[in-house]
Amino acid sequence: MYSKISAHFNKETADPRYFQILYLGSFLVYGLCFLGWDGDAIKYIAIFASAIVTQMVFSYFTTKQYSSVKSALITSLGLSLLLKTGTIETAILASVFAISSKFLIRVNHKHLFNPANFGIVAAILLTNDAWVSPGQWGSSVLLWFIVGAGGLMMILKVGRIDTSITFLLVFGALLFIRHVIYLGWEPQVWLHKMSNGTLLLYAFFMITDPMTTPNHIKARILWSSLLGGALFVLSTFFYVQTAAIWLLFGVSLLTPIFDKLLIATKYQWNNLTASTINNPNQTT
Amino acid sequence: MKKVILTLMAIASVGQLAMAFCGFYVAKAGADLYNNKSEVILVRDGSNTTITMSNDFSGNVKDFAMVVPVPNVLDRSDIQIADRSIFQMLDAYSAPRLVEYYDYNPCGLPMPSMMDVSMEKESTTKMATYTARKDNFNYKVTIEAQYSVEEYDIVLLSAKDASGLKRWLVDNGYSIPAKAEHVLEPYIKSGLKFFVVKVDLNKYNPKANGGFLRPLQIKVKSDKFMLPIRLGMANSVGEQDMIVYAFSKRGRVECTNYRTVKMPTDNLVPTFIKPKFGTFYTDVFKNEYRKVGKNAVFLEYAWNVTPTFNGMKCDPCVGNPPYTREITMAGVPWANQNGVTTFFTRLHVRYTLDKFPEDLFFQETPNTEMYQARYVITNPATGDLSCAEGRVYQDKLRLRRRKELIELASLARWNTDSYYDYIAHGTDKVRSNKAKETDHNIKNINVPFWFFGKGSTPHKGLFLLVFGMLIVYSVKRLKLTLVKG
Repeated sequence: MYSKISAHFNKETADPRYFQILYLGSFLVYGLCFLGWDGDAIKYIAIFASAIVTQMVFSYFTTKQYSSVKSALITSLGLSLLLKTGTIETAILASVFAISSKFLIRVNHKHLFNPANFGIVAAILLTNDAWVSPGQWGSSVLLWFIVGAGGLMMILKVGRIDTSITFLLVFGALLFIRHVIYLGWEPQVWLHKMSNGTLLLYAFFMITDPMTTPNHIKARILWSSLLGGALFVLSTFFYVQTAAIWLLFGVSLLTPIFDKLLIATKYQWNNLTASTINNPNQTT
Repeated sequence: MKKVILTLMAIASVGQLAMAFCGFYVAKAGADLYNNKSEVILVRDGSNTTITMSNDFSGNVKDFAMVVPVPNVLDRSDIQIADRSIFQMLDAYSAPRLVEYYDYNPCGLPMPSMMDVSMEKESTTKMATYTARKDNFNYKVTIEAQYSVEEYDIVLLSAKDASGLKRWLVDNGYSIPAKAEHVLEPYIKSGLKFFVVKVDLNKYNPKANGGFLRPLQIKVKSDKFMLPIRLGMANSVGEQDMIVYAFSKRGRVECTNYRTVKMPTDNLVPTFIKPKFGTFYTDVFKNEYRKVGKNAVFLEYAWNVTPTFNGMKCDPCVGNPPYTREITMAGVPWANQNGVTTFFTRLHVRYTLDKFPEDLFFQETPNTEMYQARYVITNPATGDLSCAEGRVYQDKLRLRRRKELIELASLARWNTDSYYDYIAHGTDKVRSNKAKETDHNIKNINVPFWFFGKGSTPHKGLFLLVFGMLIVYSVKRLKLTLVKG
């Protein structure tokens, strides 16, 4: 009996999405408990409920694979962590748009946009009531460590460590050259910029989504270098404080081109679990 | 030798505080310099920012000087003189407030039902002394523009290197702190210009404006919405306070590279803090400042102040809300336009070099939720309380006062053991002289792993639970991977 449960547990937990849910969930709790975010429970419930319902509805009409609710949870957590809004309606709109984008905007059996990112962009563009707070995480070094370590574990499982590392290296190096070597600020200024919690969460969570990054490793390295370089230019010379959100949206459009040029196998969430390994229509 | 204030933007005016500004003062040896609080009004309109800098300089005006990095060479029309009263007005309107309520006598005697409001401003005093240093360098400085604006002589400089700029300032009678050069360099390389101000003694009338220098209001055009605080910290060792009064069309202004944290509000506190509300709030601020790790910006007030807005402008009002005239004085260009919202935000930042390595960057958000830092005292009912309801009331009162003391201890870190008599008698008589009002040795908690320290909340337990699950899961996963591998 125990071994059966244990085997089931092992099979289930092999899905890296469980780790993602716990990882992002702990960040939400951290933000609410320690960083004094507005603990508007109804808003979070609305995000989660509308994401799950949307996912279920689309699943019913497409794959009938309800295990993908895990992905809806991840998207909801991403939205809860990044999107700020004063009204429930905006929260629901972001959530519905995020999940719908996975089913409606698809190229080569992959969805084009990171769902949470798409939801945030939709909310900002379509309502007058949504924003992101790049400063909400602060820049504590301890946080850097936790996000880094946790994020590293997460992406090792997902297998997209190259994206995060390349992005942080390119962005960090350009920032260092500009601020420390050229302008002459102390390294602390650079460290302060690099240890911004929002940047790290973005690097370890938003841009490592295996469904919206190119399949081939070389393509991913190019893709994330492009993202890092563009973010540096936009934030340093054009002072776009929320550039990261817009850039990911734009760079996602390049993913199918990269996939066409450099062919590699598409990522499977459940590749460790035998039950769904051969399901090519698995949506996340 | 002039006293130079190299500041993010400026200096300040003489208020109740001797001197206050967010930059540094330089003086000859022996001169005492106060460097405590500066006030800045920011008005954001698209990519235009109007910055009004308070001027609390109270020394000899011939020694006054100021250097402010600005993004572009300002036109004459971009420079105005503002009225000092605007700062007092905005401060009085938005300062953290104490509200006073009265309990009814449950035994039926008529009681005053009035609500009274008292308010005091927090104030912190820091003192710093700097000595000047002379260096000899070549300067590559261009005077881009030169204006005489009432009592001020203004020069806009562009420079090729920091040593040259420093030399120029020294040769023109300004003394510069030793470390300023190091901070000037990145600003020069970023293409910033320098707005350099001194007082024209021929035009200065010491009898006008109560002998104070008037605030300068400048309009700059840049996508950057920021305040360069680094220059003001070039030689400073201590903590500096800055109050930012921000106006925007959309909603709250928040900081984008540091956390913006709300001050605690609507807390019920003991009645005896009424005469010492200033001290109380200063301690609350100090406590919050430590709790966030000394590197956050605090929100003290946020309200829709649109002149045509019919809702409440404050609750309760401790000062008159700003109307079209005051809003225009503050530099808001749209104050007269109908249908345009004016949202007001008061931010308070206490900064030090080690915790604030970067300048402050801001953004407008669509967040129009009103907020105020407000603390509440409730006076007990008086008269005969011998009826049955009266006795129940007294029990409840004692319970409430106990909670108020706990609140006081957690908010302001006051040692409330000495106020034990407050519960029974409502007095603030201190029982033993060894008890001090504040206990500065209480350990500050800002690390998420400090679950069992003082000030633990149930939230921390929840966080521990989730984080623990994460660790258990990771270990489980690791074992699985190892077995498979």
